[in-house]
Amino acid sequence: MATSTPPPVPLAEPSRLRHKFSRFIEPLVLLAPPGLWLLLLLIAPTLLILELSLIPGFRLGHSAGGYGLGNYLQIFQAIYLPVIWRSLSFAFGATFSSLILGFPVAYWIAVMAPARWRNLLLVAFVLPLWTSSLLRAYAWIAILRPSGVLNSLLGAIGLPSQDLLNRPPAVFIGMAYSFLPYMVLILYASLEKLDKRLLEASADLGATPQQTFWKVTVPQTMPGIAAACLLVFISSLGDFVVPELLGGAASMTVSRLIYNQFLGATLNWGFGSSLSMVLILGVSVAIALLIKYGDRDGENLT
Amino acid sequence: MPPTNPRNSQLSLNLQPFAARQSFATRRRFLQASAAAVSGVVLSNCARNLTEPKLNGDSSPGSSSKTLRVYGWVNYTDESLLKDFETKTGIKVTVDTYDSNEAMLAKMQAGGGNAYSIIYPTDYMVTEMMDLKMLVALDQSRLKGLEGLKEKWQNPIYDRGNSHSVPVAWGTTGLTYDPEKFGGTIKGWADLWDSQNSLTRRVTLINDVREVMGATLLALGHSINTENPKHIKEAYDKLVQFKPAIAAFLTNGWEEQLASGDVLVSMAYSTDALTLMSEQPKLRYVIPETGSSLWTDTIAIPKTAPNVDAAYEWINYMLSAETAAKIVERLRFATPNQIAFDKLPAKVKGNLNLFPSTAMIDQCEGIAPVAPKISETFNRYWTQLTSA
Repeated sequence: MATSTPPPVPLAEPSRLRHKFSRFIEPLVLLAPPGLWLLLLLIAPTLLILELSLIPGFRLGHSAGGYGLGNYLQIFQAIYLPVIWRSLSFAFGATFSSLILGFPVAYWIAVMAPARWRNLLLVAFVLPLWTSSLLRAYAWIAILRPSGVLNSLLGAIGLPSQDLLNRPPAVFIGMAYSFLPYMVLILYASLEKLDKRLLEASADLGATPQQTFWKVTVPQTMPGIAAACLLVFISSLGDFVVPELLGGAASMTVSRLIYNQFLGATLNWGFGSSLSMVLILGVSVAIALLIKYGDRDGENLT
Repeated sequence: MPPTNPRNSQLSLNLQPFAARQSFATRRRFLQASAAAVSGVVLSNCARNLTEPKLNGDSSPGSSSKTLRVYGWVNYTDESLLKDFETKTGIKVTVDTYDSNEAMLAKMQAGGGNAYSIIYPTDYMVTEMMDLKMLVALDQSRLKGLEGLKEKWQNPIYDRGNSHSVPVAWGTTGLTYDPEKFGGTIKGWADLWDSQNSLTRRVTLINDVREVMGATLLALGHSINTENPKHIKEAYDKLVQFKPAIAAFLTNGWEEQLASGDVLVSMAYSTDALTLMSEQPKLRYVIPETGSSLWTDTIAIPKTAPNVDAAYEWINYMLSAETAAKIVERLRFATPNQIAFDKLPAKVKGNLNLFPSTAMIDQCEGIAPVAPKISETFNRYWTQLTSA
């Protein structure tokens, strides 16, 4: 075959360069808009915050001192570590409870509901996302406050009234509710791809429904579970609205602390920036763990 | 280059990138390093911009002489006021609101307040902004009505001679409560501290370090502007003891919760309390017997104001006696304007919550800026209090 084709003409230098560039044009044009958007709105602000965080004692309007790690060392003071711990516990709690609540819903929509209702049910469940998260938090205030809907219901039945508002339980409830639609959506996407024949095969081989669930369904959907949990974890770690409105005086989280540093009495933008970097670091660690351990092809597990 | 068969071109092209990949890697590293260096240089310039705020007004688009942007508290303007001003002067006003002086200062310092020609700093904030050189020295010849101010505000302590600001409202900070739901009358902070056990999460305090710690300092017998760290620690310990009773630190969100009974006592500015009481007459506002902070809200023109002429029009409008009298009646804040005060109906003049008696005023103290080290102490205790 080699004899029938003429030997290639060596490309002249300019054409070779043009050839090289033309390879890059297409991906460049496609990636430029989102790349530019990410660069301007994500990477540049993050680098700016990183820079502010490296100036200890940076206060707006005063001259900046030299660089140093003082802001990061300030985080390790005794009063701030409980705040970070509280944020993490809220995030883990919200992730866990929305997983417990969301998985049955996603399973039902994806596996058990009639096929023609599926999209409608999914849209109905995701509909709360279309309203502002601020409004949803205010709605929870109306439900959870001492003279609110919950206590009226409990009083009508005869149960004692609950004092949930302005306490951590209210924050858990608010966060789990806020991020449940995300959890259901991603779990649904994963459960939809579940091969029902595997479930039938497992039943044929004598597995009880529980065994089928734990040994077949869950491992198959583990990537989806991991992705959904990660999304909810990241969102609830940085959530400001729910702890601010529902948490009251006893639930200071990292996001509220950052807000206080930027807009409160101290105006300590350096410390606020270092707290922001710590949050970003926490989220990055979570993503890195997910990429390393969670992102496995479901087929390889059976 | 090896001879290529069109069918093998896919394969041979793969060989090329391998050779190219080695040089591409070093080129990529060079690009990464240079990007990091450039971004570092560019961003360090941004940080410098934040430390030296721009002191010259930008001419932002839309700042014609017929528009005025005001940055103030939520209850000092309303629709009819803005309409009235527009009919009198032809200037269209847009109002943005804030609920804390520090948030306003942060925004102005970060450069986000370049569109505003009028701001409403409270007394201690005026002193601070004057030190930061953020306010325009007012041209007294352009102001009409300054002589109508009460004695106390002719030469106030926070701004001698009203050189950079004009007082527009004054008031106190006290406690609002429903006597029925609370089950008694409140005369001062001691009543709250004594009945703390029945008040778990039923009290809201203002989200302001100087107001809350100042009220506690007064209740403990010290000065609101004390520079003694021991006194401040005493106030902090008292607040920590009181913490279980605090539902939230809210400057402006407590009204509905108080009206419905979810919250039994709210610490509030007199303006907010009186506005709420006009709708809920059963509520009561009390100035603690140990005294409270006496604040003055002022109007000032920032150095970055785009429309200084309209700003002077606004100030003169607010200073005129008829306007002041009307807005006092409608918006319920006390005016430092003596002529306007005389014009008010007797019922309003005699409202002790709106215009406290002289005896009461003597009990009150104005919040003044303290030394930076003491300010740090206040802020540290406040962070500890709110973060616990």
